[in-house]
Amino acid sequence: MSTEATIFIIDDDPAIRDSLTLMVVQEGFAVSTFESAEAFLESFQTERFGCAIVDIRMSGMDGMLLQEMLTKHHFQLPIIFLTGHGDIPMSVRAIKAGAVDFLTKPVTRERLMTSVRFALVESEKMLTERASHQSVQSHLAELTERERDVMALAVQGHSNKEIARLLGISHRTVEIHKSKVMHKTGATNLLDLARIAHEGEFKSIDKP
Amino acid sequence: MKDSLLANLSVQTLFDAAADAMLLVDNIGHVVQANAVALELLDYSFEQINGLEIEALMPKSYRNQHHQHRNSYYKNPEKRPMGKGRDLVALRRDGSEIAVDISLSPISTGAQHFVLATLHIADKRRKVEEALKISEERLRLAKEAAGLGVFDFDYRNNVIHWDERMRDIWGEESEESVSYKKFVAAIHPDDRAARQTVIERAIDPASNGEYSVDYRVINPNDGVERWIATVGRIHFTNGHATRLLGVARDITDQKILEKTLQEQRAEMETLFKQQVASQTVSAIAHELNQPLAAISAYSEVALHALNSSTFNPENLKRALEGAVAQAQRAGKSLHELLAFMQKGELVTERFELNHVLKEALNIAKGDGYGDFSPLLALEPAMPEVLGNETQVRKILVNLLRNAVEAMRVAAVPSSAISITVRTNQEINMAHVTIQDCGPGLDAETAKRIFEPFFTTKPTGIGMGLAISRALTEANGGQLWLEQNNKPGATFHFTLPFATLT
Ligand SMILES: Nc1ncnc2c1ncn2[C@@H]1O[C@H](COP(=O)(O)OP(=O)(O)OP(=O)(O)O)[C@@H](O)[C@H]1O
Ligand SMILES: [Mg+2]
Repeated sequence: MSTEATIFIIDDDPAIRDSLTLMVVQEGFAVSTFESAEAFLESFQTERFGCAIVDIRMSGMDGMLLQEMLTKHHFQLPIIFLTGHGDIPMSVRAIKAGAVDFLTKPVTRERLMTSVRFALVESEKMLTERASHQSVQSHLAELTERERDVMALAVQGHSNKEIARLLGISHRTVEIHKSKVMHKTGATNLLDLARIAHEGEFKSIDKP
Repeated sequence: MKDSLLANLSVQTLFDAAADAMLLVDNIGHVVQANAVALELLDYSFEQINGLEIEALMPKSYRNQHHQHRNSYYKNPEKRPMGKGRDLVALRRDGSEIAVDISLSPISTGAQHFVLATLHIADKRRKVEEALKISEERLRLAKEAAGLGVFDFDYRNNVIHWDERMRDIWGEESEESVSYKKFVAAIHPDDRAARQTVIERAIDPASNGEYSVDYRVINPNDGVERWIATVGRIHFTNGHATRLLGVARDITDQKILEKTLQEQRAEMETLFKQQVASQTVSAIAHELNQPLAAISAYSEVALHALNSSTFNPENLKRALEGAVAQAQRAGKSLHELLAFMQKGELVTERFELNHVLKEALNIAKGDGYGDFSPLLALEPAMPEVLGNETQVRKILVNLLRNAVEAMRVAAVPSSAISITVRTNQEINMAHVTIQDCGPGLDAETAKRIFEPFFTTKPTGIGMGLAISRALTEANGGQLWLEQNNKPGATFHFTLPFATLT
């Protein structure tokens, strides 16, 4: 990951924002603070390496709702929640919805930094997955219609002979299409091709 | 007509002077004359009633019949009451009906025949009769529906005569009468004294003899306990109580219902109190935990700065300053909270409200809230108010601070605060109004501003208005936000005067 990690701090209490900013900056991270969930959503762009430290209890949109909104818009950003008192059912809900951690204020530097580091690993994973997903997508986009048909049948486990019969073309033509597919997608074998099809949410086209 | 004096008195004058309503009707049934009382009673002007067919002054259902009666009356005119004791009704112009008694006198001048109808209002008599009828009916219905038992306590012979329903409750088989002793024996021991007191009060000849008491009766056969309500009246002969005649009703179900309702209400109240308490505690916890969390973080930042090789004095300073400010904030929250809870102990004195207002203005200026121009409208020589001067000053300072803060946020061009101090005649209290030109409050916010710890300000504690309201109430006044569409916010509070004038 070439870009530097950004830690977003979203809390309606200016003192909490200020003190946590100082702390996180000391650890060498870039910090961006917001006084409300709304303000954060407005400025956030997807594809950021980093994580968010979010206060659960805020006037206006609260932390849990912010998490929901991010999920809804497919924004991939690990969240660490801060809360005044350990509300168990709420923390369970938050973690289930994908939160990295649920910390009780006052939080120690050590505890917070452990979570931040873990969150950054998560963020990196998310971004890598996203990148490979995108490259698969672009590879698949290069295929001709016929090649897609052949690929669809091949990953379903049909032999070249069967594909030839199903599509009404010669065995030789199937072989040519198939090698083009393998080349364009960079797949090393049929299993690899199946993985790519799955990752790229490749839909088989139900044509004879 | 022998005297000229009498001759000068016009018929109309006599007519109008009569205490009863009078109508003169010609032989074809048209009103030709009506006196003032009649016009008022029937709500007509003379122009309206003149020439009106007499039937127009009675309910529709009477009209046809009256036509016939009228024709036969003219054939054989005589002076007599109309209706032969039946209830007669006159119709007023607005359609309302009044019961009247009517008497008829024929008058003839040569060939012309008239009838003079005199109307008495019968309403009163009628109402009493009706009420009596209704109450008798009610009693009968009530006795049946409510399963009332009737008893007659013969005071001199110490015997009670009673009906079947009473015997049922007392678990007595058949006797028509029972000794007073036996009667009382079935009454719950805890209720006997109270019942006795009521009876003694009723048999006092100086009293109105009314008797009403609820007590429990325990059926000696099955031990079942029932609540009964008894009402009655003592009869006196030669100034001595001789009988107590009354009815009894079984109210066991009602008592049980009352008890459950009361229990439920108490339960709800406890629940509600618990809820409020837990909300307040959670608000307090939050209010103290926030600065603690910040102080903890600032301190760790300071520690880290000291331990690190790349020591940054700027950040260290910022962290320590932050920690100090947050410790102050926590302390302030605590003190505000204590002020809120200690409103109980109140030392009151008499003082001039206008004077305290001026002090409050100075305090606000001294505290860095001087950026406004006060527009004062102070009632001169207003009577002194009674209250705790320090607390009243605090209320004023709080309201001024809020006004200034609101106007700062909105950055309004004119930062004027209008302050009125006057006597509110309606409630006879001193009445202070503080109006700013800030952004005002939306309905949602307005609902919550008096809640402890409710704030929309980043560094606000949200106790200002909660405390101010508690303080005004402790001083015998009220504090409220005016609901209006005017720009800005308008707060009012009242305080009692020292001497009640
Ligand atoms: N004059 C005003 N104009 C507009 N809003 C007001 C005004 N006065 C009060 N409010 C609203 O009511 C809220 C509660 O006021 P309150 O004085 O109780 O607390 P606060 O001013 O926020 O904090 P503090 O405890 O420091 O006074 C404010 O946050 C503000 O939103
Ligand atoms: Mg205030």
